[in-house]
This record gives sequence, C-alpha cells and structure tokens, in this order.
Amino acid sequence: MDKNKIDVEVTRLRQEAKRTTQKTIIIGTLSIAIFLLVWQLLYSLKIVDNSRIASPIQVLSAIGSKVSDPRPDGNTLFQNIWASFKLAMVGFFLALVIGLPLGLLMGWYKPVDKFVRPIFEIIRPLPPIAWIPIIIVLLGIGTVAKSFIIFFTTFVPIVINSYTGIKGTKQVYIDLAKTCGYSNWKVFKTVGVPSAMPLAFAGMQIALGNGWGTLVAAEMLASSEGLGYMIFMGRNFGRIDIIIAGMFVIGIIGLFLTSIIDRIEKIVLKWRFVQK
Amino acid sequence: MESRDKKLEIKNICKIFLNKNNGYETAIEDVSFKVKENEFLVLLGPGECGKTVLLNIISGLLKQTSGEIYIDGKLSKGLNSEIGFVFQKLGILPWLTVRDNIAISQKFAGVKKTERYEKCQKYIDLVGLKGFEKYYPHQLSGGMKQRVGIARAYAGNPDILLLDEPFGKLDAQTRYSMQDEILRIWNENKKTVIFVTNNIEEAVFLADRIILFSKQPMSVKENYDLKEMKRPRDYTSEDFLKIRKEISDRTDLVIE
Amino acid sequence: MEVCTKMTKKTKNIIVNLLPFISIGLFIGFWFLVAGKPSSIIPTPYEVYLRVVKLIEKPISHTSIWGHVWASTKRVLFGLLLACFFGIPFGLLVGWNKKFRRVFKPLFELIRPIPALAWIPLLTLWFGIGESSKIALVFVGCLMPVVVNTYSGVSLIPKLNVDVAKIYGASNSQIITDIVLPSSLSAIMAGISTAMGTGWIVVLAAEMISAYQGLGFLIIRGSNVSDLALVIFAMLLIGLIGSVLSSLLRFLERKLCPWKVEIKN
Repeated sequence: MDKNKIDVEVTRLRQEAKRTTQKTIIIGTLSIAIFLLVWQLLYSLKIVDNSRIASPIQVLSAIGSKVSDPRPDGNTLFQNIWASFKLAMVGFFLALVIGLPLGLLMGWYKPVDKFVRPIFEIIRPLPPIAWIPIIIVLLGIGTVAKSFIIFFTTFVPIVINSYTGIKGTKQVYIDLAKTCGYSNWKVFKTVGVPSAMPLAFAGMQIALGNGWGTLVAAEMLASSEGLGYMIFMGRNFGRIDIIIAGMFVIGIIGLFLTSIIDRIEKIVLKWRFVQK
Repeated sequence: MESRDKKLEIKNICKIFLNKNNGYETAIEDVSFKVKENEFLVLLGPGECGKTVLLNIISGLLKQTSGEIYIDGKLSKGLNSEIGFVFQKLGILPWLTVRDNIAISQKFAGVKKTERYEKCQKYIDLVGLKGFEKYYPHQLSGGMKQRVGIARAYAGNPDILLLDEPFGKLDAQTRYSMQDEILRIWNENKKTVIFVTNNIEEAVFLADRIILFSKQPMSVKENYDLKEMKRPRDYTSEDFLKIRKEISDRTDLVIE
Repeated sequence: MEVCTKMTKKTKNIIVNLLPFISIGLFIGFWFLVAGKPSSIIPTPYEVYLRVVKLIEKPISHTSIWGHVWASTKRVLFGLLLACFFGIPFGLLVGWNKKFRRVFKPLFELIRPIPALAWIPLLTLWFGIGESSKIALVFVGCLMPVVVNTYSGVSLIPKLNVDVAKIYGASNSQIITDIVLPSSLSAIMAGISTAMGTGWIVVLAAEMISAYQGLGFLIIRGSNVSDLALVIFAMLLIGLIGSVLSSLLRFLERKLCPWKVEIKN
C-alpha cells in the first residue's frame, strides 16, 4: 500500500473513532436534557399533581436556599452534609482498621479463621439495619450508636473481600517466596497482602456504598441532623423539593466517596494500572 | 478447469488498525494468493504476524482495509455460509452439550431438533466422539473439545474450512494425534482447507502447499508446493528434514 | 524426633479445630455475663427462648411468627421479581445495543448513585405507607444491582462466542437469545443474589418505619417496649431466612449454570 492510501485510511479511522465518542456524549447529554425537560413539563403543565412532585427548578432552588436556610429541619445543607460525612468516615475507618487486617489474617492463618469465623458468620447475615433498634436501646441515638451501625455495615464486606483476596494469592508466588527462605509472616507481608489489595479495595467500595446507604436510613430513624434526617423531615413537612434535592446530594456525595477510593487505589496499586 | 484452480482468491488484501498511542499499525501489507479446490493449504508465519486477522477477513468477521476476496469467482462480502471456522480458542459454548454445539449451524438455520441430531450424528462419528453426544464441554479434554470444534465446522457443510492454529493449546502428544486425525477426517470428507499455524513441523506434515508469511506487516514471503511429497509424511525422513530446514532458514524471527 | 514433631502437629490440629467452639463458648459466656447483671436490659439466651414460646401462644398483631416471616419474605420476593422482570431485559439491551445504551445509560447512571434507602421518603409520599410502597421500595433497591450486573455481564461476554454465532449463521435476535443471554446468565444470577440482599435490607427499613406485620415491624415493636428478647429473636430469624434464601439462590445458580461451577473448581 502506498503512503497516500495509508494516510487516507488512518485519517478515516481516526475521524470515525472521534465521531463515535462525540455521538455518545451528545446523545447522552441530549437524553438527560430531554429527561429534565419532560420532568419540568410534568410539573408546569400540572400533568402530575403538584403536591406529589417538585420540578427540577424547584429542586435546584431548594439546594440553593438550604445552603443558608436551616428550615425546616433545623440545619443548613452543609451542617447536614458534615454530620453525615463525619459519621460515615468514623464508622468506615474503624471498620477498615479492624476489618482489613482481620480479613487478611483470617485468610492466611487457619487458627485465626477458625476462631473468628463463627462469630463472623453470626454477624454476616444480619442486615445492619436490624441492629439499629438494639443499638439505640443500648447506646441511645448519639454519634456513638450511629457510628457503630456504620461500622457493622462496612465491616462485613471489607473482611469478606480481603479474605477472598488473600485466599486467591497465586500459589506460584508463595512458593517462590518460600524458596527464597522467607518466613510465613514475611510471605504474608510481601506476597499475600499485595495480592489481596485489588479485592480489598473492591470491598471498600462496596462497604462505603452500603455504609452510606445505611447511614441515611439510620438518620431517618434516630437523628436530628444529617442528610437522611433532612429528607425524612422533608417528607414530614411536605417539602418534596427538599426530598429530591437531598436524594441527589446523597447520591453525588456517595459518588464522590467512591471516586476517592478509586484514586487511592490507583496510587497504591500503581503496578496494576501501568499497562492500562 | 479454472474454477478448480481458483476456489478462493485473495487479492491485495491490506488491513490497518489504529493503536493505543493514536498511531497505527499495518497488520497486513499486501497479500495475494489463490487456493485450489480441495487442497490442504497451510498458512505459516511467526507468531503475532497477522494470520488470524487474515482468516477473520476471509471468513467475513472482519472487514479489510482494501483488497478483494473471491469465492468461486464471485466477490465475497461479509459472512458466508460456505465457510466453516475452527477457532484457536475453541469457542465451544459451555452451556450446550456436544451434540448441541455441533448442530448449532442447523439450529440457527431453523432445522428441527430431531432432524438436527440425525444429520449431525455422522459428524460426531467422523471426529471420533461417538458416545459423548450428551456430554458438556467442561467434561471433555482439550483434544476432545477441539474435535467438537471441527465437527461443528463440518456440520455446517461448508465448501471451505478455515482452521486458526487449532492445535496450539494442546500438549505435544495430543497435538500429534490431532494432526493425524485432521488428515484422516479430511481424507474421508474432502474440503478446501486453509490451516494456519506457526509450527513448521506441523505445516510440513499436513500441507499440500505452504505459504510462508513475514512478520508484521504481513506479506507473502514464499510458496512451497509439497503435493509431490508422499503421505503419510515421516517427521524424520530426509525429504521432510530438508524442506523443514529450508523453510526455517527463510522464516522471519520475531525477536531479533 | 520424628515422633515428637508428629505429636505436636496432631495436637496442633486438634486445638485449631476446637477454636470455633471456644469462640462460640466465649461469645455465649459473654452474653450470659452481660445479661446476668441485675441492671441489664439484655435478656439471657434462656429468656429469649421463653419469649419465643410466649410468642407462639400470644401472637402480635394477630399474626403468628410465620405470618410475620411470610409478610416480609413476600414483599422481598415480589419486589425482586418485578425488578428482574424489568431490569434484566433493560440491562440486556443497554449492554448489547449501542444506540439504546447511549440514550438510556446516562439516565440510569443519574439515578443509580442514590442509595435505595434514600428513596423511602419519596416513595412513602407517593404510595402511602401500605404494601405498595414497600414493594416499590424493594423494587427500586433490587433494580440497581440487577441492571448493573446484567449489563456488566453482557459486556464481559467473550467476543469469541459472538463470532461463533455469526459464522454459523445466527440472526441478530438469535444472537441475543442463544448467546448473549446464556453467556451473561451467571452475572445475572450474581446480580439477583446481590439484589436479594439489598431487598431484604430495604424491606426491613420500610417495615421499621411503618408496618403492622413483618420482621422489621417486630424489631421496632420490641425495641419500643424494651422487649429485647423479641428484638433478638426477630434478628435471629432474619439471619436465618437470609441464609436460607441465599442458599436457595446458590442452588439455583448451580442448576442453571453448571459449567461455571466447574470452572471455579
């Protein structure tokens, strides 16, 4: 093939690829725009009863006003966000600090597994929500109680995933380290733990997702601040705009938290992403 | 006479791909050759040189950048029911039994179950899998799985059979026996075969004719006509070793 | 020397296998300890047992234990079924059809980050506090994992399987029913499994907020009157039912996808 024809073809392929990505972006944006439009029309044209829906504009203005207005639930938006965020972080970090090593050790050392397993298996099938009332009775509705609940929620996936992760360590690497004369502990540190990291991070993602959701519910049942509380109050006061606004804020922050874990994973596990 | 000579004609095929760094690579430079009816043609080339790409283009799965393919003198565009394909990675569907896998071309054509099974039984027997009709792929060995692939290709009653390094994933022992098998099957049921491999021994053992390709960007390097060599071929005979060395000297090394 | 090491290994093995019992023992002991103190409101295991007996005689809310169990399970199953009915085809289309994906995936990704439980206020506003709001909630909670797992499953289908279908003459719809669906089946099952877990959590939350029947209701009822024995019993039941249901699902998965299990082995 002569140089000219090659150039023509390559340019054609490049343009095609560009067009494909452009198309995806345009259609996606259009689709969301149409969705918002239809939504707005449902409200403005009163096709849906206005007491049951809030328009996108109302939702946006609710967010705007909530930034400074503590009504009707008694906290401004950022106070609510901070209250929820604090609790999520405390519970999550506790679960991480206890659960990650525990899962790794359980996966590596049989005695640890045998000892912890029965208790873990009792805790695991219980949805964290079910713990809320008991914890409220025992610990009241304070920060400690709620952090506990988040701890339970986030603890389980972290342990399970780090356990599965380390169990999946390739035997080849273990054997290699052993022939280098490493003690069991050293093999654990240098081979087992790194191998478990991808799954451990996946576990953290799941944990955070679950934890964030549970937190919202916990706040509905027993709290005087936080995003869950905010939307719950929104319902009590018939403020649908706050409900929907709150739902989106909860969603966005959830995404934000997930992306932070993603970033951390990419830094910690550089070796995994280089080829990509 | 002419159609016997040109069952398949590949003319000036080129294929260019965009690669990750926004550059491009020429997988296939300019490849032309003819395939005779019922000949066992082997396409030989070093690993990763573009042979699979070429097969995919011939079968219609991939579109070429330029060039034409003629089957029986007619221009071929896209997929063709005249072509059967045996894949390197097997592609046996794990949720179907041996029988269902082999009969799949019939199923897609809408043939009823009992009729399908009847028609395909002879192919199951042909590849030596009689008795294994109701087995699932995960219960089979590598060699057996590949036989399913071959039977499946035959069951579609194609004129042309493409095989993409079908024995590459098998251990040496199984590989040798499968080479005997494919020749036996081909002798019982003659078709035009295009067999791709990177193994010189295998090529010399199987082929009526070998086309040697360069490494990427792929182009035709040499044509070896082995029609005169007596079958079954002997790996250790003088003739065999001579040809083998000749080809080996001519082959591009991938690592230089 | 040899005999010595063998003995130690054997005893080591025995000790290791005793550990689970030791830990359970410690746990129960701890429970008794905490519950035994006179000022404690935590019931002893025996008290829980007594409470269960009483419950069988005097049902709460005119419903037997099994009535409550069924009330919760029913809601989860309905919601899950609905989620599969809509979610699996939607996920298949999003995964397989480029045009469909371009239009609908962004919309889905807009809704997806909202945790299921955050829907409670909105759905209770729309559907009231009866059965339908609970089933709607379970539906929303189950829909996300089912759809996500389905379209992920589709995207992970080996291109080879599709190539095989094309070579052997499959039409587009045949590719979807005969290749895409079976290939993504195990991912779909994983999605259903996750959805089941989420659905269960969601139904409990909904019942805790407002219900007259169900296990979540029992928990709230119990905690409202400091009847912790009831709460603990309800929790045990929840754990039990959850395990039973997920075992059933795993059994179903093994039946539907026998080849996947083999690959794992």
